[in-house]
Amino acid sequence: MDSKKVWFITGASKGLGLSLVKQLLEAGQYVAGTSRNPAELHNAVGENPNFLPLQVDLANEASVSAAIKTTVDTFKSIDVVVNNAGYGIGGSIEELTDKETRDSFDINVFGTLNVVRHVLPYMRAQLSGHIINISSIAGIAPATGWAVYGATKFAVAGLTEVLAADVKAFGIKVTLVAPGAFRTSFLTPDSLSIAANSIDAYKDVHETHARYLKMNGTQIGDPEKAAKAMIAVVDEPNPPLYLLLGSDAYSRAITKVENMVNEFRKWEGLTKSTDYQTV
Amino acid sequence: MSNQKTWFITGASKGLGLVMVNQLLKQGYNVVATSRKLTDLTGAVGSNAANFLPLAVDITSEASVKEAIDATINTFGHIDVVVNNAGYGMVGGLEEVSNAEARANFDVNVFGSLNVIREAMPYLRGQGSGHIFNIASIGGFNGNFPGWGIYCATKFAVHGFTESLAAEAKPFGVNVTVVSPGYFRTSFLDSGSLIVPKNPNDAYQNVRDSQAAHQNEINGNQPGDPEKGVAAIIATANESNPPLHLFLGQDAYDMAYVKMDAVKSDLETWKELSTSTGF
Repeated sequence: MDSKKVWFITGASKGLGLSLVKQLLEAGQYVAGTSRNPAELHNAVGENPNFLPLQVDLANEASVSAAIKTTVDTFKSIDVVVNNAGYGIGGSIEELTDKETRDSFDINVFGTLNVVRHVLPYMRAQLSGHIINISSIAGIAPATGWAVYGATKFAVAGLTEVLAADVKAFGIKVTLVAPGAFRTSFLTPDSLSIAANSIDAYKDVHETHARYLKMNGTQIGDPEKAAKAMIAVVDEPNPPLYLLLGSDAYSRAITKVENMVNEFRKWEGLTKSTDYQTV
Repeated sequence: MSNQKTWFITGASKGLGLVMVNQLLKQGYNVVATSRKLTDLTGAVGSNAANFLPLAVDITSEASVKEAIDATINTFGHIDVVVNNAGYGMVGGLEEVSNAEARANFDVNVFGSLNVIREAMPYLRGQGSGHIFNIASIGGFNGNFPGWGIYCATKFAVHGFTESLAAEAKPFGVNVTVVSPGYFRTSFLDSGSLIVPKNPNDAYQNVRDSQAAHQNEINGNQPGDPEKGVAAIIATANESNPPLHLFLGQDAYDMAYVKMDAVKSDLETWKELSTSTGF
């Protein structure tokens, strides 16, 4: 890192969040890390005067607002926000209840929005900052059996694209990170949520889930390298809006782009048939 | 019981939904049309035909949606084409839009559609056929719409779950299409339809400019003809291999291309960093 910055990282007790926290502390940065479970966070990170552990319920706006205020009170600024908290949810749309669906949006989308809403007043005032929203390759090219997860991560991509345009005038940078499969606890039963109501007819969906769960522990992506890449991006004068992480994510994204362009062309005639005649 | 296909259309009292109801009735289809208020619907459509079933439905209530789907089956014996058309626009910076305002937009644009899909799928699966159209927006594909962060997030989410739904519904012979209209000359941008935040913030001049441009310059001058947009959707329903993504309008086509080029450019520029994260 070029200079000392204050980082605010949600979901900091495990996965990419934890790797980020550890690398940043090692580099002498100030880090506020949030988790639902303060003991887990403390055990994972240990004592460090530059670390501010915060117990936060991201779906609760008051809890988020208090955490951001504590961060600024403690470190005097807030420079980089990483909306990292989130969890995977599997199931067909029919199998997942309204409640299960909304619960995942609460964390993956509304939690991120709560953080963005409360951090922007500080970043606007200081005319600087970088917001990194962790989406997923599923937020660009979703897979069978993960419709709701994909929807939450697409939503993050959407709000991030617009946010980048909205806050550019204030000198605030915005990046969407879309990781592929990384060797974290993401695919463990503790983290991953699967529809409680299973409908036998959705064989393909269930086979996909079994395949993903089997992948646990052998994911190609190294979380330490992902954290390093994110830190590198923050030092860039012109960071990307879209940062894919992992060769798997990269190929899926490239394939998606090519498929989309082919589809545009195939249906071009119908697409362009709907405008009023210009005189 | 009728041999004609039965269409189920939400948000049918105005805009593309209303145009669709009228075209379909003229073509002899069975049409189930939903709106929050029955009088809005009957007033707008003005048909007492036996093939028309107007229903008052709150799509954010799963029970209300279930009742409507049941009524459809009881009346026409089957449900063939579902059009998740209900939705509304919102323009406001992410800092300005309250948690409640953001959630209200998701309630209709995202969770409402998911309620309909969840309740319709058992019938579509049972009969081994059907077509679900989810009406998104070009703003659900390209987020370069300053101030439209929440709306774009909802429509990106629709893109995300539709892509997965296509895969999960395919084994049952159910087709799925996400429709992304550009600007169409409907009441979408009218002050009664377009929602703005209750607590705007003076700092977001770019958002106010975007709002003013949409309300004063774009509204009434949209290039898209709703009659032609609807005709394109109906034509798609009659295709044996319909597209997963259907963009409507030259403007949507161009913006979709721009988006793919931008992502491709980010992918290529940052390829080395993106693919540096494997073990």
